[in-house]
Amino acid sequence: MTIITRRGLLQAGAALGTVGAMGRFPALAQEMTPHEKQLYEAAKKEGEVTWYSGQLSAEPGEAVGKAFGERYPGLKANVIRSTSQVAFQRLSQDMRARTAQCDIFSSTDSGHYGFLKKEGLLMKYRPKNADGMIEAARKGDPDDMFQTCYFGLYLMGYNTQKVSAADAPKSWTDLLDPKWKDQIAVGHPGYSGAIGIWALLMKQMYGVDYLKKLERNKPQIGRSSMDPVTLMNGGERAIGVAIPSATTLLSISRGNPLKLIYPTDGTVATPAPTAIIANAPHPNAAKLFMEFATGPEYSRVITKLFNESLRPEVPPPVGGRPLNDIKLIMPTMEEAEKGVPEMREVWRDIFGV
Amino acid sequence: MTDSAAMGAPGRPLSIQARLRNIEPATLIWVALAAVLLVLVAYPMGKLLVSSFETRGTGAFTLDNYMTAYGRARYLEALGNSLMLGLAAAGISVVLAVPMAWAVSRTDMPGKSIVWITVLGAFILPPFLGAIGWILLAGPNAGFLNQFWRWATGLQAPLVNVYSFSGLALVIALHSFPLIFIFVKSALDLVSSEMEDAANILGAGTWTTTLKITLPLVWPAILGGTIVVFLETIALFGTPAIIGIPARINVVTTQLWQFFEYPVRVEVASAYAMPLLLITVVMILAQRLLLNRKGFVSQSGKGGERRPTRLGPWRWPVFGWCACVGIFSVAMPMIVLIQASFAKGWGRGFSWDNLTLRNYEYLLFRHEMAIQSIWNTLIFSSIAATAAVILALLIAYIAARRLVPFAGALGFLAMAPFVIPGIVMAIGFYAAYASPPLALYGTAAIIVMAFVARFLPIAYANSTAAIRAVHPEMEEAARILGSGRMRTVAKITAPLIRKSLLGGWLLVFIVSARELSSAVFLVGPKTLTMAVLIYDLSEAGNFEVVAAMGGLMLVITLVLVGVGMKLAGRDFMLRRD
Repeated sequence: MTIITRRGLLQAGAALGTVGAMGRFPALAQEMTPHEKQLYEAAKKEGEVTWYSGQLSAEPGEAVGKAFGERYPGLKANVIRSTSQVAFQRLSQDMRARTAQCDIFSSTDSGHYGFLKKEGLLMKYRPKNADGMIEAARKGDPDDMFQTCYFGLYLMGYNTQKVSAADAPKSWTDLLDPKWKDQIAVGHPGYSGAIGIWALLMKQMYGVDYLKKLERNKPQIGRSSMDPVTLMNGGERAIGVAIPSATTLLSISRGNPLKLIYPTDGTVATPAPTAIIANAPHPNAAKLFMEFATGPEYSRVITKLFNESLRPEVPPPVGGRPLNDIKLIMPTMEEAEKGVPEMREVWRDIFGV
Repeated sequence: MTDSAAMGAPGRPLSIQARLRNIEPATLIWVALAAVLLVLVAYPMGKLLVSSFETRGTGAFTLDNYMTAYGRARYLEALGNSLMLGLAAAGISVVLAVPMAWAVSRTDMPGKSIVWITVLGAFILPPFLGAIGWILLAGPNAGFLNQFWRWATGLQAPLVNVYSFSGLALVIALHSFPLIFIFVKSALDLVSSEMEDAANILGAGTWTTTLKITLPLVWPAILGGTIVVFLETIALFGTPAIIGIPARINVVTTQLWQFFEYPVRVEVASAYAMPLLLITVVMILAQRLLLNRKGFVSQSGKGGERRPTRLGPWRWPVFGWCACVGIFSVAMPMIVLIQASFAKGWGRGFSWDNLTLRNYEYLLFRHEMAIQSIWNTLIFSSIAATAAVILALLIAYIAARRLVPFAGALGFLAMAPFVIPGIVMAIGFYAAYASPPLALYGTAAIIVMAFVARFLPIAYANSTAAIRAVHPEMEEAARILGSGRMRTVAKITAPLIRKSLLGGWLLVFIVSARELSSAVFLVGPKTLTMAVLIYDLSEAGNFEVVAAMGGLMLVITLVLVGVGMKLAGRDFMLRRD
């Protein structure tokens, strides 16, 4: 799955500009597990952990780093945030120069992990906290080389001034109803990896005919998966298709008249892994960070900035639904890697751009 | 300009030492310029040309890339769309710009400074921001213009639809016409009233004189500006991506983007970019053929006088035209963007409880890259503008005066980058200089180099037009009096064209500051520019912050332009004798 480059990153965070809403998080009297305590003691000697991340945007990224330091006094998380491609490039440069700087690597591009795993550059570690994650995130790499720590959700939304709740589409197939002609907006698989995944899933579920029928409704095609949110805010289009939940929730929090629809035939999920690098200079701090990223505190921090909770006990972001309660659909890594590039050509033949 | 300064051919054979002494500094400069152009233009482009015949991975010779690049109707269609779009945008730009340039330069039309400001505003407004503004204005469902139309007429069909070929061409023209305006205005500024007087004495009225005398005299500037707009349009990425994709119009640049998708097909993209180079060659040859037949000297050594033409009752209709262009290109999109930049949610429209300073406050005080990107933009753009103007002036002078053999080749190299879309140029630079031994990726150097190369044509066209207007007789006078070539240029030519050069510098500065398509592929984490940041923010669907960043960009650029105008303005006041 070579997808979601800088766009994915921005979708991921989408919390730019969420401002005063976010204060300091009250220190949570969360007990450390014995395993965590043990790692913490070992990690104290290392003092810090360096995290190359392309998953979260600035504010949630930094909030996570800060929360890590607050939970484990004496440890400092260096958050090196960028797009996933740049993070990967930086890591490759480190490796070429034979310097070990990075402990934790987070990318929205699962292709990176396939490569790193094949080259033997990842450290085997299964975070114990992963067992308490929601079903869809719990199962990491079968060889325990990486673990899902981030979820992008792609669903539908509508402008409440243009469409009533009763009228709004309920499933992906409802979009084919001719009454939505000239009302729909969607991104483009050539610009957004998530749209490629969505289109691939539609093809798997309903055949290529689905896209051909959708074309009859003349959807407005943008670039990123977030474009339709902008169009709905302005009232140019009534229905947004395959829009990221984080961006939409942020938009709603700012007073735009939007509402999310969790399609009955499945919400598209794009899980993204995090891994420890084999020659991590701070291996214990890295393991502790993995426990942190799979534990509840991390989910609490990122949900305040509209990212999805990965823990059943942490409520979803304001306006969202718990992942365990909704039907999630996603292709396997192999299907995505092969299917998305093909999908772009199919898309262009059908939609003309 | 067919004949030019004498080359000083010696009648008798000289000793080698004497020969060396007699080598014109121009020859040495030619060598230096050739080296610089080699690095900036020829090598990255050569790399592209070579890779268009290479098999990916192995590097073996192949024609497959061309087969792939032209093997689909959709790809050819995109090429056709680009050409049509270039023609339409250039045509509309001429219609918008030439009357304005004439009115500001040569008439007593009121409100010239307002016109000047709107022209600059249109030029400063990055095309992708303008495109977003126009989507809000002319979107078929929610656009303000269409809402007003429905309210006023009760009709359902929209009045205007920005998502169409004509919408796309108009939006591009509304942001490109300043190029023609500036070219034509500076040329008109040099035309003395004597020639118009001659026509008047012979019985021609104002309109006849304007159409038969004044405008034909600035034909090289009109043609040059039109070509630049045409080439800029076919190389534009942002606006076609924002408007063209929803309108289902695929153009060369959006098609090239597709070849850069994973797996990246640089070789196919290179092959696909080749016709653009051919188009430039054809354009430049055509320009030469058209201009070589006639002389366009308007600035001679004899002091001319410039008086504004009296428009009488026509003052207001002419002003009305300028004002309309200003309203459509600047005022309306700007108002929509400013509204958004101060809005909590721009979908909520104009209301007091929707007002906030949060977007600006966020960018200025809490965004990790915003301030850095502003500094980067100012520094990169000013270095690039200075380098481009100096290079272009030297090349244009050598080419215009034919000081050395193959001077035309330098001119071609200086002009060629314009047709290389920013995306392709960025990849050329990337391929040539990003990796070791130079390893320039992520540095300021690679961005500045790309900006210089990319905007050299603007500086070059500007310098060429300026030099064309200076008759060699003035230089010849200095040289007869014993002055060397360099001294002549420094003391005679440069002062005569100083104002044009300052205009050229501002042009390059502004287009560099808003440059997106090449920068987006070359910036590293520390070298982010404002335009790229705006593009990134726009991808995040955070329109209020995008607009605020656009607002910051506009304020900063306007301040700098204001300073520049003040400096140029002093010159303005002086009478040239």
